[in-house]
Amino acid sequence: MEKNTVDETERMVITRVFDAPRELVWKAWTDPQYVMQWWGPKGFTSPFCEMDFRVGGKFRCCMRSPDGQEFWNAGEYHEIVLHEKIVSSMYFADPQGNKVEPEQYGIEHEAIDGAYDVTIFEDLGNGQTKLTFIGNEPMESAINSGQIEGWNQILDKVAELIGGLASAK
Amino acid sequence: MIERLSHGPASVHGLTEAFALSQQMISKHVACLIRARIVIKTKRGRESVCTLRPEAIKSVSDWAAYYRRFWEESFDKLDVVVNQMKKTEVRDGKKHG
Repeated sequence: MEKNTVDETERMVITRVFDAPRELVWKAWTDPQYVMQWWGPKGFTSPFCEMDFRVGGKFRCCMRSPDGQEFWNAGEYHEIVLHEKIVSSMYFADPQGNKVEPEQYGIEHEAIDGAYDVTIFEDLGNGQTKLTFIGNEPMESAINSGQIEGWNQILDKVAELIGGLASAK
Repeated sequence: MIERLSHGPASVHGLTEAFALSQQMISKHVACLIRARIVIKTKRGRESVCTLRPEAIKSVSDWAAYYRRFWEESFDKLDVVVNQMKKTEVRDGKKHG
């Protein structure tokens, strides 16, 4: 296996359907005021979150474990498609947002160079939103991800339009 | 429990509080981890202190597991936030604040 290819086992995909419109889920994901309410595992709180939400902008969030240990993460936004998709990177940081080795936090991490996180927001059309988070994607597939879903939606619309045209005859 | 100990050593008493389980249950679990050579128990005064073996830390707190847990559990919390936001929006008649 080539050394710079991402091992499939390193990929992580998490999907969740939220019982809320897409704009609302987007807001909860991109507004630090709300991010601070959900950032971090169970039992963790987030005492600080700052987001310069634009392509090339950076974010910096802190989470505090139940026993008071603070973990800082920072990252950058690489692609933003309003209400649809975000490509970003994330790393462990110090409180100033400078990258640190995860070992400093006691986390063993085999670095994956050029890995990005992709978040896809899909409107399920019934007031529900499907959120897909793909971790550690290489940039090329990060750019292409979401396009299959996009195409399916376009095809559905085309099918609907064709159906409407057919019955209007 | 391993996750808790990955943050640092803890007394059996401390673990009992963290998990809301009886001291007997915790001791039983700790005994298993000691047998599995994941945890070492030492005496500090009257307290028994549990520490992860360094070799075990390497394998249990690996990035992939941490990363998945981070996002899975953040999503759980996001669900609560989104539902709260939805209620607020309905209550405020879609007014933006």
